[in-house]
Amino acid sequence: MTISVSHLKKYYQVHKKEPGFMGSIKSLVSRKYESVKAVDDISFDIAAGELVGFIGPNGAGKTTTLKCLSGLLWPTQGSVSVLGYTPFERKTAFLKQIALVMGQKNQLWWDLPAAETFLLNKEIYEIADDEYKKTRNELVDLLEVEHLLKIQVRKLSLGERMKMELIAALIHSPKVLFLDEPTIGLDVVMQKKMRDFIQEYNELKKSTILLTSHYMEDVRQLARRVIIIDHGKILYDGKLDQLVKKFAKHKVLSVVLETYVPPDKLKEVGELVEYNFPRAVIRVPRNASNVAAAQLLQKFPVDDLNIEEPDIEDIIRDVFTLSSKH
Amino acid sequence: MRYVRILLIHFEDAIAERARNLVWFLIALINPLMLLLFWRGAILEKPEAYGQWNIPSIVSYYLLLIIAGAFLQVHIEEKIAYTDIQQGSLSNYLTKPFSYLLWNFFIELPYRVLQGSFGVIVFLIFFVLFGNIVSIASDPLILVLASVVIILGYLLSFFFKMILGISALWTTDFSGLVNLVEVVTLVFGGFIMPIHLYPVILQRISFALPFASMFYFPIIAISGKLVVVELFQVIAVQCIWLVSLGSIYQLAWRRGVRLFTAIGQ
Repeated sequence: MTISVSHLKKYYQVHKKEPGFMGSIKSLVSRKYESVKAVDDISFDIAAGELVGFIGPNGAGKTTTLKCLSGLLWPTQGSVSVLGYTPFERKTAFLKQIALVMGQKNQLWWDLPAAETFLLNKEIYEIADDEYKKTRNELVDLLEVEHLLKIQVRKLSLGERMKMELIAALIHSPKVLFLDEPTIGLDVVMQKKMRDFIQEYNELKKSTILLTSHYMEDVRQLARRVIIIDHGKILYDGKLDQLVKKFAKHKVLSVVLETYVPPDKLKEVGELVEYNFPRAVIRVPRNASNVAAAQLLQKFPVDDLNIEEPDIEDIIRDVFTLSSKH
Repeated sequence: MRYVRILLIHFEDAIAERARNLVWFLIALINPLMLLLFWRGAILEKPEAYGQWNIPSIVSYYLLLIIAGAFLQVHIEEKIAYTDIQQGSLSNYLTKPFSYLLWNFFIELPYRVLQGSFGVIVFLIFFVLFGNIVSIASDPLILVLASVVIILGYLLSFFFKMILGISALWTTDFSGLVNLVEVVTLVFGGFIMPIHLYPVILQRISFALPFASMFYFPIIAISGKLVVVELFQVIAVQCIWLVSLGSIYQLAWRRGVRLFTAIGQ
């Protein structure tokens, strides 16, 4: 296994201060600390070449896990192995084989063209001239940024900068790539380009990629396997399509009516999610979807009917809602 | 060659920020010039009161202080504390196979060299215009030893600011500490007046702290106020401080980096 995580825990001590002036005075004398479980006993393995999506709401623990895997954080407990190394020992041989890209952080020099950062990374990673040229040209071609190489980073758009960030991070051809929200803040067109690039890179280089994102589209397009995390615990680890079967308790009937039917009548079939004549969307229990569809066809003037799986985003939202209730 | 190439790339960045460098240098320039005017007046009025310190030596002292303030006074601590630690940019360095200490050395050195060279220009202008009241050591041996004192002074200043910077891994209010250190450096580094003009007790305190080894001794070494034996003594003291600060840095880094939470993401 390229990545192996066993019973990983990462707890933080957080200072708790009561509000107001007296709270400040009290905290000078005695400070109260609370232990926050950012990651709470998680285990998983990732094989070489896999592209895994790490999903969770804010504060779920996904970025903390990524930081533990890339060697930034020392775990409170548990073991982590990446490419056979213990990440937080930060051995040179390990660091030369990984890359961490954070959508909100940058490593490029603001006042110099991005090409200078590539050159610096060439020296930092001790890449041979020929190899550097080959990799750089490959990445520049894939991301179509040849014309931007000599322009000051400060003059690039966010999307262009993100492309340059990726080149800087991949110039040493890492075997393992950690991507933390790589498409955050980008417009939809640029998001699509970034996703296409990540997919192409994964296929071309066979790198192992662990990706966190708030955008379901990132995960839907890129990751066959997803790990869903919330409150520091893994709620689901498996294939994306299996997630639907496991957690989707409902199906969605999408109907186009020939003539107007009062909403109350449609509610007899199931939960009316949306009704904008002639279109109606009705949510029904998964095991009763066929019966509900037959009922619709018999009782109402239906022009068109589709039985659909619920949106993956809705399923994940349901998973999180379920976990917060427990 | 690898390190030279890394240093040259960092020089490009410092040159790209030349306007900012010039402004920072002007800040380092104004204070010594004001003090120079004050001391010139004081010495002209009562020349016998200041012992060895006459007009040429005090003018040279403050002109060299301008260079020392620009070249030897490392300013890496705020970048480390605010950008790297508090905003989380340290993540960029920790995930790369390169020493954080060396990296900061390469980031800072071009800025110091650039700003120090502005100081040298000011010194040369004064030298050309008022050659008779500006002087530095002329003995080759003294100059060689003074160069060693300057290099060691720079390294001490660098290690001290590295320690100060990474102290942000433990502190929540870093700016208070920075301001305190600024005041202590001004007083005990010789930025207000030559330490040899202080009352004896203050002199002893100054020589017991590392700041004189960072700034004051390099200045009086190059101005020719120390003989060979004294220069060797200064170098010995600087080496002791260097080993001490280097060890403190290593210890603090090893412990502190475990506290890094990579916040800001």
